[in-house]
Amino acid sequence: MTTAASTLPKQNATPATVTGARLVVEALERQGVELVFGYPGGAIMPVYDALTSARFKHILVRHEQGAAFAADAYARVTGKAGVCLATSGPGATNLVTGIANAMMDSVPLVAITGNVASPLMGTDAFQEIDILGVTLPIVKHSWIVRDAADIPAVFAEAFHVAQSGRPGPVLIDLPKDVQVAAVAAAGFPPSPKEPAQRLDPAQLRRAESAISAAQRPLLYIGGGVRIANATQDVRAFARATGIPAVCTLQGLGALPPEWPGNLGMIGMHGLRAANEAVQQTDLLIVLGARFDDRATGQLAKFAPHARVIHIDIDAAEISKLRDAQIAITSDLRSALRALSPRPPKIDAWREQCIHAAAQHAFRYDAPGEDIYAPALLKELSERAGDSFIAACDVGQHQMWVAQHCRFSTPHAHITSGGLGAMGYGLPAGIGAKLAQPDADVVVVSGDGSFFMNIQELATLKRYDIPLKIVLLDNSSLGLVRQWQELFFDENYSEIDLSDNPDFVTVARAFGIDAFRISKREDVSAGIERLLAAAGPCLAHVVIDPRSNVWPLVPPGKSNSDMMHGDP
Amino acid sequence: MTSPILIQLDHSEGSLQRLIGLIERRGFHIDQLAVSNAGTHREVRVTVRGRDDGRCAEVLGRQIDRMIGARRVAPASSPHVEEAVPCPA
Repeated sequence: MTTAASTLPKQNATPATVTGARLVVEALERQGVELVFGYPGGAIMPVYDALTSARFKHILVRHEQGAAFAADAYARVTGKAGVCLATSGPGATNLVTGIANAMMDSVPLVAITGNVASPLMGTDAFQEIDILGVTLPIVKHSWIVRDAADIPAVFAEAFHVAQSGRPGPVLIDLPKDVQVAAVAAAGFPPSPKEPAQRLDPAQLRRAESAISAAQRPLLYIGGGVRIANATQDVRAFARATGIPAVCTLQGLGALPPEWPGNLGMIGMHGLRAANEAVQQTDLLIVLGARFDDRATGQLAKFAPHARVIHIDIDAAEISKLRDAQIAITSDLRSALRALSPRPPKIDAWREQCIHAAAQHAFRYDAPGEDIYAPALLKELSERAGDSFIAACDVGQHQMWVAQHCRFSTPHAHITSGGLGAMGYGLPAGIGAKLAQPDADVVVVSGDGSFFMNIQELATLKRYDIPLKIVLLDNSSLGLVRQWQELFFDENYSEIDLSDNPDFVTVARAFGIDAFRISKREDVSAGIERLLAAAGPCLAHVVIDPRSNVWPLVPPGKSNSDMMHGDP
Repeated sequence: MTSPILIQLDHSEGSLQRLIGLIERRGFHIDQLAVSNAGTHREVRVTVRGRDDGRCAEVLGRQIDRMIGARRVAPASSPHVEEAVPCPA
């Protein structure tokens, strides 16, 4: 968002002082920030003025939402806070969806906004918005800096809050006069220390006893595993106990698909073996999951025979939706390392789960000549191997990625889970690729979602980011169409996108290499071309508009009421 | 059923708005609200009532506990979450 040059203030620093804007840059440097995603405008211009001498790199996106999404994905891959920067008013409100996305998926994000000068705040000034008020429900915490001298302390606390405990987004709002104010150069406070974990030995022993005595125990793995960096601890626990496992959307990758006893994703588009195991288990061991409704289906009928051990760092998640008979409020790594139950005698249960997984495994022999998206995605992830990272958009393709791609770690699956924000994929892919340049980062998008942040193709080109894009084009809003087909008597309403532009031409107009495939026989060569491309590349994949995602638990139904269709 | 909660709240900008928004967003009516200045902090006495039977005041209390700058001081027996009180299913 831009503004008239006549409103620009002068920077007020003298040799003995430093401006608030300079303190912002120093604060970011001291936090070890390497990348900031942003877009300049009038109320943040002093910070952009100071940015030119920053030791970190700024990525100029083409829409502030892209900045927030890219910073979010950068944070998911690195585990460090992502940083996005925008001006006041529309610049700030354009960040809102990205902040909400980070809140829903517990992503450490530091959003920095400019605001009008303090005397103008509350007067409906040009490009003034109460962004602190707007974002109150979707941040872990937020600050308006009223005195430039507070900037070091506020930034230290903000990064600590964003990254500690259950991570989340924070917002720092900087009035313009604070950015240009000159204050004495002062020291930066050390970052607050994380308090030591307090594990309750009695609860640990109760958990161990329950696990050892269980006949049909099941691990329920959520996104907390990625956040806590506890993948190896989960695998060690699963190996030591032999307990089968299911994953939420955000928990995928904690165990690789080939792991014996990994039954895959549960929920609305979960695997039948996974959903059935949950319905039969007598002990659900919940690791960093929050009983999201897309995972549980009808909550009252979810895991009806199970006692629950719930391990989560956020005490507010315990018994929020499902009673926990044993609750351990802790970082997952600490809790799992402290648990050493006698392995339960569950050979029959384990065999039953493994047999069910094999019996209900997906098939990839769909008839016809059209490209079968699940098969393409499976082959893509397997060809890329352990370096594969998927950055998804939202829709049918997102569920196909979750069902069919192979993820070597939870960090390899970057998806907008809680918010389900269309438009996430492309900027998220940019953030992920910049976070891990050696990875094969592939954006998987749909023709609906892709349009929501299509402008970020310009960012790809500007920085020559070798991101790969698979654009699955069914000429419609596929998931909405599927629901209208199944639950609204085929009354198709506003889902037709058959007037899409030629995506190959569009990509090339941005200077991005692109090609199209529309036949099954071209899939392998297309994947090879995409992965081998030296720079950014888009594969436009034409699929059957009538394709559906199966299986499906109808909304409001129990996970035992799965619908199945033809591939 | 109504539940009284006593909270110590810091003076940071937006903290009262944040607290009230949290309570209402989590599905509770605010039946009574009193705010007083206690010097280093504010004391907020609030009586809440769930909008439906699925709302658990104990869970709300823990959601308040995780607010930056807020500290729940009553009901005093509540913070032992490892022995979580079952909430209505």
